[in-house]
Amino acid sequence: MNKVSTGKVIVCDGNEAAAWGACLSRPDMVAVYPITPQSSLVEYLAQFIADGRMDADLMDVEGEHTVLSVLHGAVLAGARTYSATSAQGLAFMFEPYFRTPGLRLPMVVSLVTRDAVSPTCVWGGQQDAMTVKEVGWIHMYCETQQEILDTIPIAYKVAEHPDVMLPVNVNHDGNYLSYGVARVELPDQSVVDAFLGEKQVNWHACLDPERPMAVDPLTGGAGGIGPSLFVKYRKGICAGMQDALRIIEEAHEDWGRRTGRYWSPLIEEYRMEDAEVALVTIGSMTGAAKDAVDDARASGKKIGLVKIKTFRPFPAARIAQALSRVKAVGVVDRSVNFGWNCGPVYQEVLAAMYAQPVRIPMMSFIGGLAGADITVEHFAEVVHRTFRLAGGEAATGPVWLNEND
Amino acid sequence: MGVAFDSISFKASLCDGCGDCMTACSQAKGGASRISIVPGAKAGSFETALCRQCGDPKCVQVCPSGALDKDGGNGIIGWDASKCVDCLLCTAGCAYGGIAVDESVARVGKCDQCDGDPACVKVCPTGALEFRKAGSIFNEYGAKEDLFVPGLSGCQGCNSELIMRHAMRKIGRNSVLATPPGCIPGMGSVGYNGKTGTKVPVFHPLLTNTASMLSGIRRYYDRIGRKDIVVMALAGDGGTADCGFHAVSGAAERGEKVLYVCVDNEGYMNTGMQRSGTTPYGSWTSTTPVGEHMQGKTQDAKNLPLIMTAHKCRYVATASTGYMEDLYEKLDRAIAASFEGFSYLHIYSPCPTGWRIPSSKVIDACRLSVDSNFNPLWEYTNTSGLRFTHSPDNAHPVSAYVKMIGKYRHLSPDQLAHIQAKVDEQVALLKLMAAESPPPPAAHRAPAGSSTPAGAEPSQPARREIARN
Ligand code: SF4
Ligand code: SF4
Repeated sequence: MNKVSTGKVIVCDGNEAAAWGACLSRPDMVAVYPITPQSSLVEYLAQFIADGRMDADLMDVEGEHTVLSVLHGAVLAGARTYSATSAQGLAFMFEPYFRTPGLRLPMVVSLVTRDAVSPTCVWGGQQDAMTVKEVGWIHMYCETQQEILDTIPIAYKVAEHPDVMLPVNVNHDGNYLSYGVARVELPDQSVVDAFLGEKQVNWHACLDPERPMAVDPLTGGAGGIGPSLFVKYRKGICAGMQDALRIIEEAHEDWGRRTGRYWSPLIEEYRMEDAEVALVTIGSMTGAAKDAVDDARASGKKIGLVKIKTFRPFPAARIAQALSRVKAVGVVDRSVNFGWNCGPVYQEVLAAMYAQPVRIPMMSFIGGLAGADITVEHFAEVVHRTFRLAGGEAATGPVWLNEND
Repeated sequence: MGVAFDSISFKASLCDGCGDCMTACSQAKGGASRISIVPGAKAGSFETALCRQCGDPKCVQVCPSGALDKDGGNGIIGWDASKCVDCLLCTAGCAYGGIAVDESVARVGKCDQCDGDPACVKVCPTGALEFRKAGSIFNEYGAKEDLFVPGLSGCQGCNSELIMRHAMRKIGRNSVLATPPGCIPGMGSVGYNGKTGTKVPVFHPLLTNTASMLSGIRRYYDRIGRKDIVVMALAGDGGTADCGFHAVSGAAERGEKVLYVCVDNEGYMNTGMQRSGTTPYGSWTSTTPVGEHMQGKTQDAKNLPLIMTAHKCRYVATASTGYMEDLYEKLDRAIAASFEGFSYLHIYSPCPTGWRIPSSKVIDACRLSVDSNFNPLWEYTNTSGLRFTHSPDNAHPVSAYVKMIGKYRHLSPDQLAHIQAKVDEQVALLKLMAAESPPPPAAHRAPAGSSTPAGAEPSQPARREIARN
């Protein structure tokens, strides 16, 4: 067993933690454009580079569309890259964003989640990240500042794994985690270097006069091998996604051995051993939810919680397994699935539970929009409603948690 | 591929009969001049009698002694004094008066192009005589490797294909090419279903991000010490002037070391001939149609190369396949500049399909667009300012150009007048910029004796020196 590192301890907010995570992963190129609530993250990166703490080429560009586009070029030339964005920035980045998984470019981009306009709103929420969940990026959600820092090197390990070769978004909640300050341990650089090993970013596709190839030629159309070739590419991404479930677990395990911090790679089960009802949460809301679970347990209620860390690929089997014995489930979202009148995580969990022999009642809760707090009191309400559901009350929903705040 | 050679060309319309060329020639050759300026058919006009260095020379055919020979190496018909029996049959054989008796020595004398630096051309003050090296260019670059496969699916007579093949011949294999959506990848250069039409690494970027992704490639290659790779775009005008403009502007502002070639066919031709920001006023396109309420595009084109001069680019130039020599010289300078900063080359590219012209008229359209100042040829650097590389004076009226192009078929006299006015306005502005430019460094200046004003266009030989340096 490797020696567990205990690195330097600092106090920082989530954006600085992300910048440290990136710095320790030694990207060659960092492209930045500021947007609330991500701005301080890219300022930290710029400062690290200015101070010589980080040996990366800083590309200060004219917008998020170019942020991701320059990184496309850099990765195709062989670089390890990093950036971060939020909401409208992500929307402006969407055209190259859509393309990144198809090119199988292993890169890591932090998504500091935010509610997207309109109505105009610059505060936290997860509508941005949830809107792009079908594009082919891996999405990991963090609960704490330390988890943000640790998840970024883990994300590189996953992205660059030859069985995966997909881009990863490491998501943390805007406002709460981006600006919230906590104790964070910085692993030694040597620990991260040993963990990441040789970078593997362009073994499959590259733009290099030494190895001339056409990268991303036109594919498809009728006749010939067009459509079947296209299907092959699409299936390849699906296979990479499914393999990622295993690689993510391995990477977390490896990280835990080296640092002593074992984060739940796919889902975290909290007090689920004998739970009769369960809450499902994602991101920073989990802390308050755990407190509410503890309070309910203290009053004799058998309740547990499942936190989703990896949202893409969706760990459907693990979730079904975790929730298979409960009588009711309350899923809390920080974003809206407009066409289904519920939260997107709710809908995903519902789909994951479809294969269960018994139909388990579930209810959708939506809270924390536009930077609102989801307090322990809000979660107490969630607990209460979920127990009523377990008792046979019909599910209504969604329940909008901050409607009367 | 055949061979072609340098030649001395004569533009009768520019000749004022001063005779300086004859004086210079007789001084250089120490006898009678081998060029003769003679009165033309119209009063006040002039013609020249000069050896054409014919490919099928009658003088050589009639010579009984083998004294005349068409040298396969340089194309010049040489005369061997030791073999010549002075029969003078050659003077009768030549229909152009290209070989004549030099009374001072009582033998024949003919033009030998003064070892590539003809005395007559150097002194001609009006530009009527020009030493054209287009033939050498043809030989030099025709022999280089074509970096696209044969059989690209371009339209017949496509000027963009000509640009691609020639530009890449010049640039060579040590390059990374990006061809955003448009005719160039549409031809199959980027490949289709696993095949590729290009022999260099090629990427098909988004229509909107070509300059950005190239910036990323170049920065990383610079970072790892691979600084000799030409990182370049062959992009259309839509992806450059319209939705890709933020990327071009941003990369130029950052001084990214990229060679950006915009192939301007004045619209979205690959997708069915829609308007773009560089579509000129009055043009028919499928989105600026001609009908009762609308007669083509109602706005003027944006002048993208001029906009790029305001970006502190390392190099900005316009070029046309109508003037290949000029294009090659600009490619040289653009490539060199791309190792220092953003280098932008804007090449006009008539589209036979979208513009409604016969494919055999593409080069005519190129020439006339330049000769009418519709697309003037110039180059710009931050230190030398703007410089015309083709004289904007004595331009044809734009009507001749416009009339040969189907997309202007419907133009009213008012619309034509608008186009002429805008062309004049644009040239006046460019001239102002050129006049305000500092004089070029001494090496770039026209030779002594030329009356070319400082800051204006140096003579052709002077420009070639720049290209070679
Ligand atoms: S020098 Fe030029 S202008 Fe004068 S006669 Fe000769 S060709 Fe004509
Ligand atoms: S005068 Fe002319 S034709 Fe006669 S030998 Fe000499 S070069 Fe030949």
